[in-house]
Amino acid sequence: MARVRITEYRAKKIIIGRRYSGIRIAPGATSTLPRKGRWIFKVDQGIKQRFKKGLVAVVEKSSDVARFRRAWEKKGYSSFLLEPYVSHEAGEERYISFERVRGGLKVLYTADGGVHVESAASSVSEYVARGDSDSARIAEATGLPHEFLEQVISVFNRHFFSFLEINPLVVRGSDVFLLDAAVLVDSAGAFFLRDSWDETDIIQSKISNAVESRVAELQLTTSASLKLKVLNKNGSLFFLLSGGGGSIVIADEASLKGFASMIGNYGEYSGGPTREETYLYAREVVRILLASRAKKKALVIAGGIANFTDVKTTFAGIIDALSEVSHRLKKQNVEIFVRRGGPNETEGLSHMRSFLEHKHIFGSIAGSDAPLTEAVDRAIEYLQS
Amino acid sequence: MTILDRIRKGETGVLVIGMHAPIVQSMLDFDFLSGKSEPSVVAIVTGGVKARKFFFGEKELLVPCVAHVSDLSPRLSGRVRWALNVQSGRRAFNSIVDFFTAFPRSLGVSIFAENVPEAHAAELIRRFSHDKLIWGPASVGFLVPGSLKLGAVGGVDPLQIKNGKLTVSGGIAVGSTSGGMTNELIRSVINAGKHVSFAAAVGGDRFPVTPLSDLFLLAEADTQTKALVYFGELGGVDEYEIVDLIRLKKFTKPLVAYIAGVIDDAFDEHVQFGHAKALVSHNDESARAKRDALKKAGAVVSETFPEFLSALSKLPESPVNDTNYSVDSLMTRRASILSTRKIVAYEKIPAFVKKGALVKGAEHAYGKAVLEALLGKKIRSKTTSAFIEAIFQLLIDHGGEVSGAVNTMITARAGKDLVSSLSAGLLTIGPRFGGAINDAARVWLSGVRSSESAEALVKRMNASGVLIPGIGHKKYRVDIPDPRVEAIAAFATLLKKHPCYDFARSVEKVTTGKSGSLILNIDGCIAALVLDILAECERYTHVELTELIDAEFCNTLFIIPRIVGFSAHFIEQKRNDEGLFRLPEDLLFTRGSEKRHGTKNK
Repeated sequence: MARVRITEYRAKKIIIGRRYSGIRIAPGATSTLPRKGRWIFKVDQGIKQRFKKGLVAVVEKSSDVARFRRAWEKKGYSSFLLEPYVSHEAGEERYISFERVRGGLKVLYTADGGVHVESAASSVSEYVARGDSDSARIAEATGLPHEFLEQVISVFNRHFFSFLEINPLVVRGSDVFLLDAAVLVDSAGAFFLRDSWDETDIIQSKISNAVESRVAELQLTTSASLKLKVLNKNGSLFFLLSGGGGSIVIADEASLKGFASMIGNYGEYSGGPTREETYLYAREVVRILLASRAKKKALVIAGGIANFTDVKTTFAGIIDALSEVSHRLKKQNVEIFVRRGGPNETEGLSHMRSFLEHKHIFGSIAGSDAPLTEAVDRAIEYLQS
Repeated sequence: MTILDRIRKGETGVLVIGMHAPIVQSMLDFDFLSGKSEPSVVAIVTGGVKARKFFFGEKELLVPCVAHVSDLSPRLSGRVRWALNVQSGRRAFNSIVDFFTAFPRSLGVSIFAENVPEAHAAELIRRFSHDKLIWGPASVGFLVPGSLKLGAVGGVDPLQIKNGKLTVSGGIAVGSTSGGMTNELIRSVINAGKHVSFAAAVGGDRFPVTPLSDLFLLAEADTQTKALVYFGELGGVDEYEIVDLIRLKKFTKPLVAYIAGVIDDAFDEHVQFGHAKALVSHNDESARAKRDALKKAGAVVSETFPEFLSALSKLPESPVNDTNYSVDSLMTRRASILSTRKIVAYEKIPAFVKKGALVKGAEHAYGKAVLEALLGKKIRSKTTSAFIEAIFQLLIDHGGEVSGAVNTMITARAGKDLVSSLSAGLLTIGPRFGGAINDAARVWLSGVRSSESAEALVKRMNASGVLIPGIGHKKYRVDIPDPRVEAIAAFATLLKKHPCYDFARSVEKVTTGKSGSLILNIDGCIAALVLDILAECERYTHVELTELIDAEFCNTLFIIPRIVGFSAHFIEQKRNDEGLFRLPEDLLFTRGSEKRHGTKNK
């Protein structure tokens, strides 16, 4: 269950339907205006505060479009949107957002919308829509057309939206104009949808390096959880952690001991990965550790006491990855510190111990009798010595 | 009585929805090591098989499997109080709705899957969260030491159950958003010399169906719980509900908490940590802010994890019954590769001759012994034994002209041995010869169960061109009744109720209205009465009878005596030894177009 952003083009296409006249300009496509008049041309990649960043322009000629496009492409943007310009007064700009919360949909509304909405916090009213009758109540309180609210809420629910922000929103009688819309969808809903948003509409978060992108690709092929983020490529403390909660506790411990800036990476594997999957994941962690230019380096292989992730199997995968580069680890004086518990703990730990000792990269090893922070504490002692 | 009291009193039957063998096995190990005589796992909802083999202690156990939640037999479903959902996030919602529909009086569910859509979680909250405990989505489960292990919580190998003292009930409640940390906390409580009253993972998703605040209220209401240990993370604002509960004195017991994620402060921008919710988007979602708020409300909130561990040892605790035991025998067990049972009790061989004289045997002893072997259980009623004996007697043979006997004899005359000849005869048994008893039984049983009338059934089967099994005879007809049918039918007079027999007769009434030869035949009569007798005299349920029919039980009632008949024909042929059998040519009809010397065409 992750909330992910979809393009403004797709969001409006779903909300407004066939009447929507925006044109998507995908990478490589031509960008001529379909007819005369004023148009809004903007970057459509889920960027916040586009207006302030100069990523929105009013254009009247195809050459304007080409000019802005070139400039934006230089900045690294590739996906754009053209919409007919709706002339309006700044005073007409309203703000509305919908978010799925425990008890229904939380609706925030202010008649004081536009780019400066954040400074208008005091004018924002909050409503919660639980059932069908609530849209009438909110329509009455906000003065927005009931039909519009009803339709938006229905679309929101049918298309597995999690968050929708329309700012500015312009209302003239029963006509409603969505000048800018941002939508987060629930990625778990994709399976249940046809003729709605799909994977191709999701804006990918920027992945800055090859190691992270390889782990992200690996994640797509498994039911286990594999996450990796490089924090400091020349760090001295590298983490091969397991478990979403336990991994933060271990990172916390390093931070509380004043070692935050030395942490090379954060990440975790959990949910019972196979030996092969653990191998592929561990290989990436070891890769960044070896590439770090820090003089003294430690690897912490640690995690809580697993419920069902098999220690023997996952440790076999880690040993596979370490043994490929064990001579380089030795050469760089890397020491490895271990704390882990779970199914087949005894065997897993004993295989790991004999491997680390045999390759002379042994730091310390502990099981479920030792505190969760045992390995990271020992690793920090080593780095300080 | 609180839900925890009900669990401790034994309301622990679990229906597992989806298949995750290590988790199921760990629940059975937990039950066994807790000293329960009956496993908590009642059945598993999974397609394709009727049972899956697990261990209960060192012994093997077949856990029943059904294709759908509503397929459970009443005998099993009466025990179900919980469901453990281990399906994918896509299927979880529908199966949980089905579960609560089929088991409205059940107590709750644990949902293992991640990737349950938010909208589905929200709908589960709206429909069920007011009176059911629903842990998850993305929950590792719910543990009440010594009573219930609903999920992977606490580990899946027997050593973890022992070392985590999962079978020992104590006074410290454990709550966590993270599954892994739930287990870590259980062990931390044990390492601090305390014991757990219950442990639950609310799950790492955005909308846990049973919210964190309900977990705290559960701990407050439980008289056995003396204190609560909580692990939380950065992201989300659930901890502020706890602050409110403490302020309003709705939660008054000692609380020791660790909120992970202070590391996030060390980075320039917020980092997405392992769980979906573990991302700070407002300042009050930071680990630091949540720690401060809880501390202000009076909870013990540790700065570091080692401090948290030492705070645990200061918690109050009630006296516990801790016993040491070994799990070595569970760690070395090996599963069998074929499941079977003891068909005959060899240790109870009766004496047949005593002091130079025959011992008087029990009446119908052979029929009874055969039926007990087939059914795998003791026969209670004399009527049943007598009925089987009667069928065996009547079905030994039906003359040398029937196809099975003919094949046996032809094979014998070809010089083949007993087993080959007998096999040739047996291989003839099928839909048109001898195999009708089982088919008829299926029709009668479903006829009694459904509301379809005999008229409608006959019409439907006629329309689809299917002959009704158990109806019709070559020789006998309404006015010339089959004496064997009359003999068997008399058993109905010994029964209080005979619904299958009645239904069969009502079908006969319709069919004989069409043709006098469409009478209830011997196969149909046996099929009806064997069902009625097993139901009334041996207390078989509808589901159990259906299982017997699925296993072709009724056809064995024909095959067993007929082996005798075929063997008799074989012996007869060997005695006569007339040489190879060959059909005389004039008894063959050769089709015109295939004649070697064809007739002249026009």
